[in-house]
Amino acid sequence: MSSRQRQFDALVRGYSADLYRYGYWLCGEEALARDLVQETLLRAWKSLDSLRETAAAKSWLITILRREHARLYERKVPILVDIDDVDLADTSDAHAPEAVGEEALVRAAMRRLDPKYREPLVMQVLGGFSCDEIARELNISSAAVMTQLFRARQKLKAMLGGNRAGAEVHELR
Amino acid sequence: MNCVEFRRQLVVDPHASGAEFVRHRGECARCAAAAERALEFESALQRALAVEPPVQLVESVLLAQATAQRRRRSAVRRVALFALAASLALAVGVFGTRVEATPLSALAVAHVESEASVLRMVGAVSASEVGAAFAQRGVKLDHVPAGVSFVACCPMGPHATVHLMMPENDDPVTVIYVVDQRTAQRDDFVRDGWSGRVLPLGSGTLILLARHPLAFDRVEAIWRGAIASQMAR
Repeated sequence: MSSRQRQFDALVRGYSADLYRYGYWLCGEEALARDLVQETLLRAWKSLDSLRETAAAKSWLITILRREHARLYERKVPILVDIDDVDLADTSDAHAPEAVGEEALVRAAMRRLDPKYREPLVMQVLGGFSCDEIARELNISSAAVMTQLFRARQKLKAMLGGNRAGAEVHELR
Repeated sequence: MNCVEFRRQLVVDPHASGAEFVRHRGECARCAAAAERALEFESALQRALAVEPPVQLVESVLLAQATAQRRRRSAVRRVALFALAASLALAVGVFGTRVEATPLSALAVAHVESEASVLRMVGAVSASEVGAAFAQRGVKLDHVPAGVSFVACCPMGPHATVHLMMPENDDPVTVIYVVDQRTAQRDDFVRDGWSGRVLPLGSGTLILLARHPLAFDRVEAIWRGAIASQMAR
């Protein structure tokens, strides 16, 4: 196996799951998220020589995935599930995004969140990106990222009002 | 940092670790309690966002990459061999010889070797995925056999196939169902270190490949039961 192939294998094994989760919250659809991951990594393979630093791999892949999503967005319409439509009695697949309980409510609330708030929040919570890194990726200022993160959590908690997590909104002043 | 500033920073980034943020949390009991609740919510949020990726995501990406690479190489070879093919066609015309198509056994061995990563798969594929792959190829199974660890609709040379893996102990059996060609007769073969079996089944051809043919009879019986009612074309 060539060193290039080994590098690609490592990227696929190391980042596929993160990319899938990020893609899922970007498009809201499992099949489309899977396609996004595949297209992202195939494009990464073609331009693997442009990846100079290992530490930059994740943000490099996220950038490619966001471009792929922008490319696919006009072809496929994401399926958005209203929080009121979540079937709490459905326990058929505990691993599905529609899993029951508080997680299902949080996920449904996340889907209702405006993408401009949802995306930086997903980057921070799932990707562990700092405000500066998110700002660079989204091409906006750090101050704007902080505002979006603040509003994202406010809105999320407001939607979850009445739940344990939602009670936190009352702490905001 | 005062309480309002602390609370704002807490909402922007509950995991903030700046010196002033940490100091205020240590000095203000109410803000410390708020931070604890924020981190609790953050954990719930992280759990909710961590959707489970598909079981064979890594394998399917690697397979797609290997397939794309092979297609590119094939395209290059096709261009390079164009002149040679033309010459060969001329020779056939002149000397009246007949060039035989590549046998299915050779195509199957080449296909399996180009997708070697599939051989290591051991996780179960759902019956619905197996049924869907065959349906995509226009084949309705009588029932879906258990014990499949990989399924994909693959091109194999000029043929449309369903490619499956059945991890039989230490010697996984590759099952390839060629939907667009029905071989004339059953044949056991050995090629490039692989044991194989080719047989007509339904309207297509069933190919089994493994390092040893020990499980062939059993696997053949399984797929005879699943595809037998397909009418020959």
